[in-house]
Amino acid sequence: MAAEPSFTGKRHAPLAAHRRRVAYLLLAPTLLVLLGLSIFPTIYSVFLSFRVDPLYNPKVARFIGWRNYTDLFSDDRFWNSIRLTLYWTVVVVTIQMVVGFLLAILLDRKMRGASVLRTLIIVPVFISPIAMGLTWRFIFEPVSGLANWFLSGLGLEGYSWLSSTDTALGTLMFVDCWQWTPFVALILLAGIQSISPEITEAARLDRIRGVSYYTRIVLPLIRPVIMVVLLIRIVDSIRFFDLNFIMTKGGPGSSTLVMSTYDYTFFEQGHLGLMAACGLLMLVLVNLVVFVFLNTLYRSEKAARRADMK
Amino acid sequence: MKRRSINSRAMNVLAFAVVIVWLAPVAWVMLTSIKPTMLINSAEPTFFFFTPTTEHYIEVFTRFRFGDVIVNSLITVGVSTLIVMILAFPAAYAVSRMGLMSGDFWALTVLSLRFMPGVVVVLPYFKMANSVGLLDTHLALIVVYVAFGLPFAVWILRGFLLDLPREVEEAGRLDGFGWLRILFFLVLPMAAPGIAVTAIFTFVFSWNEYLFALFLTLQKVTTIPVALQKTIDVYNVLWGSLSAGAAIQLLPMIAVVFLLQKHIARGLALGAVK
Repeated sequence: MAAEPSFTGKRHAPLAAHRRRVAYLLLAPTLLVLLGLSIFPTIYSVFLSFRVDPLYNPKVARFIGWRNYTDLFSDDRFWNSIRLTLYWTVVVVTIQMVVGFLLAILLDRKMRGASVLRTLIIVPVFISPIAMGLTWRFIFEPVSGLANWFLSGLGLEGYSWLSSTDTALGTLMFVDCWQWTPFVALILLAGIQSISPEITEAARLDRIRGVSYYTRIVLPLIRPVIMVVLLIRIVDSIRFFDLNFIMTKGGPGSSTLVMSTYDYTFFEQGHLGLMAACGLLMLVLVNLVVFVFLNTLYRSEKAARRADMK
Repeated sequence: MKRRSINSRAMNVLAFAVVIVWLAPVAWVMLTSIKPTMLINSAEPTFFFFTPTTEHYIEVFTRFRFGDVIVNSLITVGVSTLIVMILAFPAAYAVSRMGLMSGDFWALTVLSLRFMPGVVVVLPYFKMANSVGLLDTHLALIVVYVAFGLPFAVWILRGFLLDLPREVEEAGRLDGFGWLRILFFLVLPMAAPGIAVTAIFTFVFSWNEYLFALFLTLQKVTTIPVALQKTIDVYNVLWGSLSAGAAIQLLPMIAVVFLLQKHIARGLALGAVK
């Protein structure tokens, strides 16, 4: 017996080397694609951000150092777009998390047809923001749209929704919440339903039910799932482009000009260097928020879990 | 006890009502797509009792070339999904079963790509495609969709492969099977459902994708989301044509939701829940 470990060890060593070679071979195409199409473009973007590079007049393209960045920093609309993006993110993510949790509880019920409802509610998540964004424009159309018809039925004045600086942002927020609240609900629901039946049964025996079941039992147990959904929703709200572009294009005025649509204006003007610089600053913002998130919320969540175990 | 059962019945009704109201806008597109233009533009909406028309569907296929557009979408999305799956399956196996690279490394890679703002990478893609003359070709869009779909597919597929029993592979190894035979004759059949789910997710991402298609297509190879926008860029807005086009875009996705059902949470939460 004593000789056995060294024997297998020797026999395994070449096998392990072979195994690694095969593994790298299987992975190589994927790594190449990642390198060529994600890492390289980002570096290329950095290169572009130090140049003036007009789309319609490529001959004058040249290096200008940090000028694109200093230009952005001295532009009020740039700072406005950051403020608006952060404001947008806080508002829509809060609404979506709260309503999503309530929706998850509502769909957690045992009843006939529940599984059909749980499937149907996911439909908005899978629909392209373009198709739905354009449809919502029809619904919020001042004259023939459903929204104003509905309000007039209640005896209320109609709004011009997307074409007024007062209501455009709120209308966009409403549509974004319509599309993404089901996403939050779906994932929280999956978390709720993965709670073991023993725990649910124990809670029932302890007469913990209704609201206190969800706040005292469910919420602490699905904390890790909540963290993941929160992170995904926060980052997606910062990156938010499609709906905004298709519904208001940042307007009217700059009332809905978040970072990504602000960035796009540089493409329309043909300032590719500025577009690259602004995009990279957006990437920095996303990474900053993710970093802060992982270092505060996620860490406190981990600490809380460790405390639970003791 | 009695009060509770009434309460609970009220909650059931509420659940149904909420879902129905939530999906009303989707029903509204479908309805508008078969409604005569006169009724669409009237201030008083019509819900029932009208003669359905196919005029909007005919309009999108003639005036907005939706035949070509659908083919473009199917080619770019279909081919890229196929390439993604061919590359992702061996890669996912290497990551999940052969101990190459930790799960954390992949989680990080997938997250950083998932979180990459589209406007950051679309410009380099545009410039590269432009300089090699690939603007407005299927190939450019296929390449980009492969790049974005691949890490995500490897990640979801990895989750499915980790769930498979190891015994079959070990039996295969004892029988003297090589890695490739184990991979394609033993693992592939077992992983088929997971591969199908991953492929559908990859398909959905590219089918709905807008930003890259907006930059990389001009005329010839526009996909459905880009073409949809054109129904409303013209002088007077054609809500009927828009709704017909949107319905064409939506219907396959509704089918997908029912196809995927219980796998959806896993795919959307990046494997955080099962």
